[in-house]
Amino acid sequence: MNAKRQVYLDYSATTPVDERVAAIMLRCLTETFGNPSSVHGYGQQARAAVDRARRNVAALVGARQNEIVFVSGGTEANNLAIRGVAEASPGHGRHIVTSEIEHPSVRGVCDSLQKKGWEVTRLPVYENGIVRIEDVRAAIRPDTVLISVMLANNEIGTIQPIREIAALVREHRDAGQRTLWLHTDAVQAAGRLQINVEELGCDLLSLSGHKLYAPKGVGALYIRRGVRLAPHNVGGHQERERRGGTENVPGIVAFGEAARLALEEFEQRIAHTHKLRDYFEAEVLNRIDDVVLNGDREHRLPHLSNISFRFIEGEGLLINLDLQGVAVSTGSACSSGTLEPSPVIRALGRDDELARGSIRFSFGKDNTQADVDYVVEVLADAVARLRELSPLNKKLVMSDML
Amino acid sequence: MYSVTFKDHLAHPRNVGEIPDATVVAEETNPICGDRLRLSLKINDGNIETAKYLAYGCPPTLVAGSMLTQMIIGMSVEDALAITRSELIESVGGLPSRKHHAASLALEALATALRMSDKL
Repeated sequence: MNAKRQVYLDYSATTPVDERVAAIMLRCLTETFGNPSSVHGYGQQARAAVDRARRNVAALVGARQNEIVFVSGGTEANNLAIRGVAEASPGHGRHIVTSEIEHPSVRGVCDSLQKKGWEVTRLPVYENGIVRIEDVRAAIRPDTVLISVMLANNEIGTIQPIREIAALVREHRDAGQRTLWLHTDAVQAAGRLQINVEELGCDLLSLSGHKLYAPKGVGALYIRRGVRLAPHNVGGHQERERRGGTENVPGIVAFGEAARLALEEFEQRIAHTHKLRDYFEAEVLNRIDDVVLNGDREHRLPHLSNISFRFIEGEGLLINLDLQGVAVSTGSACSSGTLEPSPVIRALGRDDELARGSIRFSFGKDNTQADVDYVVEVLADAVARLRELSPLNKKLVMSDML
Repeated sequence: MYSVTFKDHLAHPRNVGEIPDATVVAEETNPICGDRLRLSLKINDGNIETAKYLAYGCPPTLVAGSMLTQMIIGMSVEDALAITRSELIESVGGLPSRKHHAASLALEALATALRMSDKL
């Protein structure tokens, strides 16, 4: 076994910048460097580049160009969507519906609004990691102004019933609740699921560049025409006054190109990662006992696998894999003697041991079957070693002698 | 983040397992984070002849057990009891402060085991 092999299986955390994207970005840094707000030629060139990027990002999600607002990433998109709607809704209501398994950037904004007097209903997800439409129906109140449920979960990849939630929202709007909006965090789903905002029926949708082979520091928020949103960056007219500040032109151009490629290569990328993921899971189930696959097996992203390994803890496994050149992630953290098992895995009803022993493997377009074979080999070895070390599956002989 | 020594002990933990004819076996659990460490010792004439351990928890807990067993084999009970948390942390090449509890857990298991052996 070649211990120096490097395998990156953390594409849900971030992706490398595609070389084609990097080439366009580099040209933009040195040539298309104008300020898009400037009226001279340099500025207009930059403006045209931003407009092209906007068309490409809009096309990725089936939106109109003027419904895309560029921001710094997924976290800002989620903040702008939720705070923006909340702050634009005084007098309409102070209630938000969200799920128990949202990304920390959505959880954090909701927690912060709750401290300011907003009421927040967090929908459960049950064992399959998917919210139930009847729970959404029961949660909507006359004073609800926003539902924020992710399109696909970042840890387990489960796909949420956004289309069905949107139908509920429409029913309420038709009945007179005009200021009820639906936001979905599509940061993990973009480029991995076919997205069309018209078919989905959402009013706001968050995107991030670095999850689809663009650099960090750029993202976008889709805002359906007619949605009232209070901006946060004020003092500039950029992005139709929804996000003031000189545009991150190189980042936006890179994001646009990455979105164009994601759409153009969608079928082959999905088929490739889906095949690798399924092969990986079959090999793991074949080689390693006492594993639990987390999240619904059908309704989930095609590139991601979340597995709990009984009797061992995720961080120890993660570092053991890292020592063998394999990069994965865990949703649990242990610090200062306090355990923070993954809230997502806990929301599935798993016990602490399974929540602590969960690992996310996420595949990308550059992985190969040889990568998977190598990972399965070192994973089986690391799991066996850690289990040999674990007291959880061995009876204590003299525990209560004192 | 972690030292070469730390990574070596994580990849190749020393003295793993249980001693079939141990003089004492002690297990300590961190009630908050759930980390566990089980230590078995073979003590003869006031000296620790053999030590083995099992552990569940974050990497520092796994490494602290490995390093501690390596340190105490051949030591007198008295000297083993004198090992401090700082010494154990230093011997693994340092630990972030938020992970110091791992060293404490290993030393608690040792103190419990030695107290038990004293009563035998």
